[in-house]
Amino acid sequence: MDYSKLKKRPSYPFETIAVAVSFSPRLEAVLCEAKRISNLFGSQLILLHVGDKTPEKEELLDAHIKKAGLDKNKNRLIWMDGEPVDTILKLCKLNIVDLLILGAIEKENLFRFYVGSIARTISRRAKCSVLLLTQPSNHPKRFKKIIVNGVDNPKTVHTIKTALYISKHEKLSEFTVVQEDDLPVLSMTIAESSTAPEATKIKKEMMQDENIKLQKIVDGLDKENITVTIKTVHGKPGYAISQFAKQKDADLLVFNSPDTHLGIFDRIFTHDIEYALANLPCNLLIVHSRI
Amino acid sequence: MGKLSHHEFIILLISMAVMLILSRVLAEFGRKLKFPIVMGEILAGIILGPTVLGLLAPNVFTTYFPSIGNTSIALDGIAKISVVMMLFVTGMEVQLPLVLKQGKAAIYTSTMGMIIPFASGFFIAYYFPSLFGVSDENYRLLFALFLGTALSISALPVISRILIDMNMFKTKIGTIIIASAMFNDLIGWLIFSFILGMLNTSTGEAQSVWITIASICGFGLFMLTIGKIIIDKSLPWMQKKLSWPGGILSISLGICFLCGAFTESIGLHAILGAFIAGIAFGDSVHLNQKAREIIHQFVTNIFAPFFFVSIGLKVNFVSNFEWQLVLVIVVLAYIGKIVGASLGAYLGGFSKNESLAVGVGMNARGAMEIILGTLALNAGLINTRIFVALVVMALITSLTSGPLIHYFVGKEANDKKSMELL
Repeated sequence: MDYSKLKKRPSYPFETIAVAVSFSPRLEAVLCEAKRISNLFGSQLILLHVGDKTPEKEELLDAHIKKAGLDKNKNRLIWMDGEPVDTILKLCKLNIVDLLILGAIEKENLFRFYVGSIARTISRRAKCSVLLLTQPSNHPKRFKKIIVNGVDNPKTVHTIKTALYISKHEKLSEFTVVQEDDLPVLSMTIAESSTAPEATKIKKEMMQDENIKLQKIVDGLDKENITVTIKTVHGKPGYAISQFAKQKDADLLVFNSPDTHLGIFDRIFTHDIEYALANLPCNLLIVHSRI
Repeated sequence: MGKLSHHEFIILLISMAVMLILSRVLAEFGRKLKFPIVMGEILAGIILGPTVLGLLAPNVFTTYFPSIGNTSIALDGIAKISVVMMLFVTGMEVQLPLVLKQGKAAIYTSTMGMIIPFASGFFIAYYFPSLFGVSDENYRLLFALFLGTALSISALPVISRILIDMNMFKTKIGTIIIASAMFNDLIGWLIFSFILGMLNTSTGEAQSVWITIASICGFGLFMLTIGKIIIDKSLPWMQKKLSWPGGILSISLGICFLCGAFTESIGLHAILGAFIAGIAFGDSVHLNQKAREIIHQFVTNIFAPFFFVSIGLKVNFVSNFEWQLVLVIVVLAYIGKIVGASLGAYLGGFSKNESLAVGVGMNARGAMEIILGTLALNAGLINTRIFVALVVMALITSLTSGPLIHYFVGKEANDKKSMELL
């Protein structure tokens, strides 16, 4: 397979969007959401299904496609046998998919979370951006409040740009970039050898450096009419932003794709995006910037 | 139940007051010179102990810091409780997610930074025990395991202070040093608990080894999964419903003592229980920063001085100072840690100078080494000469880490500039 087209391909525009189709009660709602999103960006929409192709299933899917208002001739439908995660990932690479849409439940039971459900495993491993929809609806609504993780990472600038690209199409009202304030070991160090003013100064200076960096990134972006707010929240990375998104009743939370391959240890000793995946606070977009 | 007499109680209060005040004065003086706080506390012990006070005014020394009797037992009890609490707060700062997040660079650095110093310490101690005055064949293996562990441990608080002072705490090098030191601490304390467990059984039979390993793994696994979930679920309630900060202080230290009692009762040392409880407690997303700071302040400023000062009260640092032994341990410590951690960092993708900066950063041993040495001394695993050598090594490595990081970071910057000019 030639994946050279994928390398350094920008994370947006979303030229090709794929939606993973499974015969769940939310199938129609997921298809309706996929239709809205692909129309919004003028993207080509591919429907992916992994499993046996039987006349009954074909008939059922046709009915759902019709109900969702999708045109079977315009939107490609790919059926393939195999292991769901690997097959979907392979199909996304083959079709140079820019955004993969999946339906996902907000919180899985403990066993399922540790073992890894299909949607979450795909999110951890995908080489394209992934959108997890927690409450897909047959009457989809636009994203009004977007919260982006502003972690200090080279990928963040691409992630913010992608979120802005979505925002411009959605004509949204609130765009917030969140910086998380978590300084491991600092309590111990300060307790040992700092006066109160020193401790405050140390904490302030540490956050200031990151704040300036993030502000520079935001200042350098083409924001059109969108007002971007930078907000600092306190707590463990991934958890603090998820809680913030929940409090703010956000429609979309945006994260960078993980830097390393996430395994079971990352779920036991939860960190960063795993907190969001453990308990999805709202729809989650994982931007794969392919840098 | 025996109790302190009126006179003994007064002596205890005076000795505690002197220990706290003198250690604070010296620690504050040392802080101005950018010395680790533990240095002032050790120095206070040396001044109040047999090394200085015992020599200049032996009567005053034996009256206020007696080595026998109820006052001595009370002071020993306070020091023992202090070390358990110190291991709890050390555990609270071990954040395994940070290690996982840093990926292969942290894994390589911490693994190599453990294996090479451990192997070099173990090899020298096992094959040349006479260098350390170990003649008992039964203890050769345990001593070799101990020295390997002692040389592989790092001191997180000292390292983080150095990185803060150098404005490197949040840099790539700083994060790797912190993450690797955390992992080193975890493995180091697990191995040390194993050694102490073996020493307790003192049979050295194969079954005891497996029971000890199984106990450590079983307890660790339970606390870091089910224990962590229970703590995580109950913390929000504790912080909301109980009085502040009394509630969180009582419950956290209560958990620490319970876990310590449990591990002590199954033949492991109480420090393991406290350390693992600290990890489970500190990893909770619900433990707010203020609560964390209060627990640290309470333990670090009240109990840690008792522990470190009490070291100097028991040991004569002059008569037990043997420069050849100090030299061997210092050289072994520098070579093992710098080579190991630098190699790990290099394999993890750092440049030569950056790797060396990581290596010298990880070389700081500080308070952790002294705690480890004290526990080994109390358990009869090492003699006072080796203990003094370990304390000296801990102080030298802590003092030299900062300037050495500065040197290698500066060298890296110069090299980059030269490359740009070319």
